[in-house]
Amino acid sequence: MTNVHRHPASFRDPSGFLFRSNGLLYRQVNKVYQPHYEQLMQSGLYQQLVSAGQLVPHQELEQNLLNGPEAWKTLQPDILPFISYPYEWSFDMLREAGLLTLSLMRKAMEHGMLLKDASAFNVQFRNHVPVFIDTLSFEKYEETKPWVAYRQFCEHFLYPLYLEHYCGVEAIAWLRQYINGIPGDLTAKLLPYRSRWNLGVRLHVLLQQSVKARKESTAAPAPFSRQKLTHLLQHLESILKSLKPGYPPVSTWSNYYEGTILGKDYLSAKEKIMEGLLSRLHQSVVLDLGANDGFFSQLAAQHRHQVVAADFDAQCINALFLNQKKSKYPSILPLVMDLSNPSPALGFAHEEREDWLSRCRVDCVMALALIHHLVIGKNIGLEQIAAWLSRFAPQLIIEFVPKTDEKVKGMLAGREDVFSNYHTAGFEECFSVYFTMEEKYPVEGTDRVIYCMKRK
Amino acid sequence: MAHPILLYVDPGSGSYLVQVIIAAILGALFYFKNLWWQIKAFFTRPKKEEPPKNEPHND
Repeated sequence: MTNVHRHPASFRDPSGFLFRSNGLLYRQVNKVYQPHYEQLMQSGLYQQLVSAGQLVPHQELEQNLLNGPEAWKTLQPDILPFISYPYEWSFDMLREAGLLTLSLMRKAMEHGMLLKDASAFNVQFRNHVPVFIDTLSFEKYEETKPWVAYRQFCEHFLYPLYLEHYCGVEAIAWLRQYINGIPGDLTAKLLPYRSRWNLGVRLHVLLQQSVKARKESTAAPAPFSRQKLTHLLQHLESILKSLKPGYPPVSTWSNYYEGTILGKDYLSAKEKIMEGLLSRLHQSVVLDLGANDGFFSQLAAQHRHQVVAADFDAQCINALFLNQKKSKYPSILPLVMDLSNPSPALGFAHEEREDWLSRCRVDCVMALALIHHLVIGKNIGLEQIAAWLSRFAPQLIIEFVPKTDEKVKGMLAGREDVFSNYHTAGFEECFSVYFTMEEKYPVEGTDRVIYCMKRK
Repeated sequence: MAHPILLYVDPGSGSYLVQVIIAAILGALFYFKNLWWQIKAFFTRPKKEEPPKNEPHND
């Protein structure tokens, strides 16, 4: 077998692993997992979950691709269009992923199985719909045992959501630091005093800590039961449904296009230009950088493009995610991303979680009303930005916002202007190193210009 | 010997006892909640109110 590359994040579970061969993704199932796999397939659980769109479907290969002593079967799972990680999700995205995990547990129990792990990394989003990707997480259910993944569920889902709910902080992003979940003792320390009156916090955070602090008993724990596990799952589900982000639903950037000098005229002029550009673009995967409330992501979705909408504002991204549920064109994956500090490669040997740029396999990048935030807001040079954007996609649609613009004037007020080459000619010079300028459209009523460029 | 599947990084080691305690508390809550609804149903007219789903409140 030539060109086999074992997936670097797939090493913990002895049931099997993911690998790539000649560019395609496969999953080896080891002999040890055979009885569990057979139950998953024969009990009707797999079919039920795949039909409901809750589990990624796979094909069984007739022959194993790898011939290890452990190998039993090789699967070819469906490919997802874009891989995202929990620390890039908004509040409701993590909540939906948690509810999916609980729903899978309940359905698995009806078929004599359960989830042996409850990692948020086992969930991916197909646009706004969460889907479970780890086929080998299901194992036979022994009714006398509690849920082996209970604590992991708390650390990956419940604790970050509790922290966002009670403290009003963006704790989901902390999963970048705590890739195995936010620890219970940290959560207990940070939650405010008033949260102690909540039954969920008392049981799932504080009680866990006090039990952990006691010396582990060597005696066998009392047997568990199906009913007890059902009560536990019901309780976790009701908690997840009741939580809300603790920060206001409207942020500084929520009304970027409303109530400012950039009113409706600017928006409709820009919309007209973008309509033309997006309609001429072949069906593509479009990455909208600095998507804000997703106005132009939605425009791209209306033109049948797949869209990944990235913005650092978690509230905007959460609102966009919730809007997707009602949208006629729900082909947007919204992600929380600070573009001046995007997700790095993480985990063991820097290989468990891929960096964001490597995951961005897209055809076109839109960077509208973004460049002044990077240059003037973050002191990143135009040359650096041009080089960085050229790494994403062959096509770039970018808006240049000059110093005469009210927004830029506001950003420069009260600070030294050290941006000597920040003007139209300087911008064109820097970007022409990496791109060929194809089209150029001034936005009526402003000094802003939208460029359509092709990578050299 | 333990089952080999359970030998890999046990995502919930140490959480068994806490689950037993939580399940006991939730079981008691469900019991009293059901009892309350039965008493309430006995003193109110039938068809007027249906007991809700068997779920405890989160407060």
